[in-house]
Amino acid sequence: MNESSIPHLMAVSHSVSYLWLIPFLPLFGFLINGLTGKYLRNNQLVNGIALGSVGVSFLLSAFYFFQLLQLPEASRSLHQSLWTWFDVGGARIAGNVLTYATVEWAYKFDVLSATMALLVTGAGFLIHLFSTGYMEEEQKDHRYYRFMAYLNLFIFSMLNLVLGANILMMFLGWEGVGLCSYLLIGFYFDKTYAGDAAKKAFVTNRIGDFGFMLGFFLIFMVFGSLDFDTLMGSARSIMSSQSITLFGHTATPTFWMNLIGGCLFVGAMGKSAQIPLYVWLPDAMAGPTPVSALIHAATMVTSGLYMITRLNFIFINAPAALHLILFVGALTALMAASMGLAQNDIKKVLAYSTVSQLGFMFMGMGAGAFTAGMFHVFTHAFFKACLFLGSGSVIMACHHEQDMRNMGGLRKYMPWTFWSMLLSTFAIAGIFPFSGFFSKDEILWKVFEEWYQGGTYQGSTLYLATWLMGMVAAFFTAFYMMRLICMTFLGNYRGNGDDPYHLTVHEEAHGHDHHQGGTHVPHEVPWNMWVPVFILALLAVGGGFLNVPHALHFLGHSYFSEWISPILYQVASIPEGIEAVSKMEYVLMIWATVIWAPGAMALAYWMYASDPSWSRAQAFVKNYPGLFEWVHARYYIDEFYEALIIKPMKRLGGQLWSFDTWVVDGMVNGASRATLLLADLSYWFDTYIVDGLVNFVAWIFQQFASLFKAFQSGRVQNYAFVMLLGFVLLIFFKFLV
Amino acid sequence: MSQFANTLLMLAATFIPFVAAIVLLFVPKDRSEIFKKGALFATVLSFALSVPFFFAYDRTSDAVQWAQSWSWIPSLGIQFSVGMDGISLLLWLLTTFIGPIAILCSWEAITERLKEYYVWLLVLQTAMLGVFITQDMFLFYVFWEVMLVPMYFLIGIWGGPQKLYAAIKLFLYTLAGSVLLLVAVLAIYFLQVETNGTLDFSLASFQAMAPVIAEQTRTYQTLLALAFFLAFAIKVPMFPFHTWLPDAHVQAPTAGSVILAGILLKMGTYGFVRLLLPIFPTAVKDLMPWFIALSLIGIIYGALVAMIQKDMKKLVAYSSVSHLGMCMLGIFALNPYGFKGALFQMINHGISTPGLFLAVAVVYDRRHTRMIADFGGLSETMPVYSTIFMIMTMSSIGLPLLNGFIGELIILQGSFQAFPWAAVVATTGIILGAAYMLWMFQRVMFGSISDVNRKMPDLTPREIIVFAPLVVMAIWIGLYPRPLMDIMDRPVAKLVRQLSPDYYQAPSLSADQEKAKQEGMRGMEAPQNPNNTGNSEVIEEKR
Repeated sequence: MNESSIPHLMAVSHSVSYLWLIPFLPLFGFLINGLTGKYLRNNQLVNGIALGSVGVSFLLSAFYFFQLLQLPEASRSLHQSLWTWFDVGGARIAGNVLTYATVEWAYKFDVLSATMALLVTGAGFLIHLFSTGYMEEEQKDHRYYRFMAYLNLFIFSMLNLVLGANILMMFLGWEGVGLCSYLLIGFYFDKTYAGDAAKKAFVTNRIGDFGFMLGFFLIFMVFGSLDFDTLMGSARSIMSSQSITLFGHTATPTFWMNLIGGCLFVGAMGKSAQIPLYVWLPDAMAGPTPVSALIHAATMVTSGLYMITRLNFIFINAPAALHLILFVGALTALMAASMGLAQNDIKKVLAYSTVSQLGFMFMGMGAGAFTAGMFHVFTHAFFKACLFLGSGSVIMACHHEQDMRNMGGLRKYMPWTFWSMLLSTFAIAGIFPFSGFFSKDEILWKVFEEWYQGGTYQGSTLYLATWLMGMVAAFFTAFYMMRLICMTFLGNYRGNGDDPYHLTVHEEAHGHDHHQGGTHVPHEVPWNMWVPVFILALLAVGGGFLNVPHALHFLGHSYFSEWISPILYQVASIPEGIEAVSKMEYVLMIWATVIWAPGAMALAYWMYASDPSWSRAQAFVKNYPGLFEWVHARYYIDEFYEALIIKPMKRLGGQLWSFDTWVVDGMVNGASRATLLLADLSYWFDTYIVDGLVNFVAWIFQQFASLFKAFQSGRVQNYAFVMLLGFVLLIFFKFLV
Repeated sequence: MSQFANTLLMLAATFIPFVAAIVLLFVPKDRSEIFKKGALFATVLSFALSVPFFFAYDRTSDAVQWAQSWSWIPSLGIQFSVGMDGISLLLWLLTTFIGPIAILCSWEAITERLKEYYVWLLVLQTAMLGVFITQDMFLFYVFWEVMLVPMYFLIGIWGGPQKLYAAIKLFLYTLAGSVLLLVAVLAIYFLQVETNGTLDFSLASFQAMAPVIAEQTRTYQTLLALAFFLAFAIKVPMFPFHTWLPDAHVQAPTAGSVILAGILLKMGTYGFVRLLLPIFPTAVKDLMPWFIALSLIGIIYGALVAMIQKDMKKLVAYSSVSHLGMCMLGIFALNPYGFKGALFQMINHGISTPGLFLAVAVVYDRRHTRMIADFGGLSETMPVYSTIFMIMTMSSIGLPLLNGFIGELIILQGSFQAFPWAAVVATTGIILGAAYMLWMFQRVMFGSISDVNRKMPDLTPREIIVFAPLVVMAIWIGLYPRPLMDIMDRPVAKLVRQLSPDYYQAPSLSADQEKAKQEGMRGMEAPQNPNNTGNSEVIEEKR
């Protein structure tokens, strides 16, 4: 790259020429497959285009990643501006100044977006590969090309989200991934629940977008720009101002940052499935399993975290917003993990697990530990994508059975899948030295540390409370994951009627295809399915070493944190010298990985594997029926929303429609009826009063006429008599009066 | 000279449909092909002639371009005066663009009294184009009224079961507003005669009356402004003057709905931008809370009522009430973002809503029902149709990469700058928008398909040709809206200055922002010395 070698004295970011190809290649893939797939009907070609475009995108991302590596730490940023997207003109913002900010269609490849781009294209490629095997049946009909095209469109949108150089580009991707999610959840559109789930996902995300939009409107009003570089460059001067006056309200910068942070977090709640907007994610499992892995585990659902990290300079200055994030994250982590305990659908377990893990990530953000949260995004992407794809393999091996009660014993049939999923289970449970240990433990430690304060215990009790919630959630996590492994892979296979304890159920699970019949033997999936799963499992095992906490510095280095740090807002300069490592950290680490998580896993094993009749589990359910029912029904939150929001909304719509018909339009029709009535009245008036008056006058004249008619007889003597009479009267008046 | 030639070209593009209508009058009734092709040819020709104006428009000027006047009724100061600025140009182009689509979508749907049908459509086309090029108040009023007559017949003759009711309602309702407009226009005209002693009906002279009007009593101003407001609000239509719209849409033939949604409604918003705001800046600001309230009610109310509709056409009609409410909110923000967003949204609505009406017509032509409940699972047998329907739906609910996003976003940003709470309320409208559109889409396209619906063929080539321009425009505007924004830039700035003369006087942040952009992520580093916050040179040296 010539560009990067030229020293830029002015701008911190370097302009490069082929950055646009990273997002656009998948777009081209989408267009080619979407437009020609129907006519060419060549699945090999569809695969080649879909995988090729994402693969080349990955290579290009890797290329630019190495470009970044060669740059000095403080200027690791590449960008490319394609065209001016918006140029709206002047706007009066806070302090009554004018901004003429334009919005470029531009991409930015810096430390954060580079890592995200690698994740999206890398995991994306593996999941594309998996799909070529998983969507085998669809390859026979005309839908397959659509599926691959949508996946490519998703990668394009997601890359816009992470590479966008300004908030609107990010928002473009943000909405785009929502659309792709909608299309892919509803991929089996002939099933009602798929369509419902798709719509629910989209509308719930829209509620989040509402907050996101208000958030960036406020950013624009305070900063006067939506461009990330400009925002970062002006953050410190904004924060150092005494007060900011906006909408006639004068307040400290912190107040406005809290407001912005709160609004943006609502957006993150939607996309990253946090309470109260998480409800769409479990339903989203109606989509094909690769979609669940790619969109609803590894990439899209982490957008909220990416956004917070990207705008960390706002959040770090917004203490109240961070507290909110911490609390909501912890609550989500705990509640979703508890819901995962009682699910029997293998994908639903993983879905609640995802919601819960996202909660952990938000806890990290809430504690101000952006890198810890982001690192969990990465490790989670590896192990959760692995688990989802593995569950896809399992579902396929069991002929589209999703209920774990009808599985069991798959270990001997599908060893690759079993080992991959087991390793990922250790990772998610946080067992040392699997990746989840490094990321989750770091988050919990950062939260704890905020309360612990180096042994003084002076932090807010919120941190202690959320840390405890997080610990319980971690216990649940290890439990439900081990439960999943036991029910699916251990024991004997129950799908063939080999079911001495009558554990299987025959109600129709929400599988997308039901062609059950006859006995069958589960089998290992083809290479294009188990290889991606296995690669992801390896990453889940070893990925943790990319960010070894300082306390364990003898094992490695916190590369990830240091890599991300140039875009993190430093509140004050950190004094030189190595931070002292607290002994407490070691205590908690050992507690978590030696007692806590293994204890939970052992409990699950004890209940579901060492006792093949599951009588211990059933005894528990019997002892606490209310609790089980409550958790199993997911706390009735969906029903609550349905009754409290959706139904009233529709009812209001109906009432307004009646109002429109009877009142608003009624007035219009009333006016016309009134006019007609008036016309009738007028006619009556006209006939009887106006014309009547005329006729009356005529009648009067007629009467007069007939009165005087008598005088006009035409006889001369009568006239002479009247003349005489007049003459007499005249004389009488003249002389006598 | 070439300036004059351009004006003539503009007039040609405007009047070609009318001339074609006259010519078609002399064609025998039974030559149906001639009417179809002749009307299509005329509108396509008009469109072809109009396109160069997009490129020829001088984007650096806020003046009325290609202006020309001919004396018409000199004793009253009435002139045949034409010309366009960026705002009218865009709507004029939208009209020539929609024209051929309206003709082509009628080719098979209209089977009786073809001659009159196409003649009326062509007359309507010229009347609408005329509104946008006129620079004379009297001429404006003439075109404004003439427009109503063809629409009345189109609905009244070729409409649905309650066509007469709908046609008369449309006619009388809008006429009621127009008459008030005429009274107010005459009042201003005589006020002008009184103050300046001149006889002048030109739009410019009306706008120049703003300061004089501002000196009149408050009641007088308010009454005049309300007369204008009512005329335009009925046309938009704003809540609570909207009830003629669902009836007209449901009863109108498809082309009628396309034109109604695509162009006619924009007459109202255009009236606001062109006349009401520049002539009554003071009164408008007085009445602003009411205007904002009505816009917001329109947004939410339209969306909620749309949600429960069972008839697809009615649903789309109520969605128009909601979308136009959004346009009005943008206009009333009175700042560049609001105006540009509103103008954008007028164009976007003129693309996506005709698209949706056409999409409804596709299934109506096949099954003669528009009830949502009669459909389901169509995307299985009609993939092309469902893709296009999806694009139009997404464009309507404002998804990025498509046109609707840009307009909605800028409007919301603009209104947020002016009235943050109004913007917050309006933003909930976009959630509802997604809900009702996707719900309809889901019920029509997803789920299992019935045998009757299975027999419906996918789009014919003619139908694809009808949709193609709309889809192309939706994507193009979504990706690269800049050319359109450039065109409206100066006229909008002029409008803003007419309303708040000192808007652009405030200090500009541009230089600071340029510096901040260069600073970029260096701004994240902790200041080495608290006195030097954000001073990059110092940090640079230390490195």
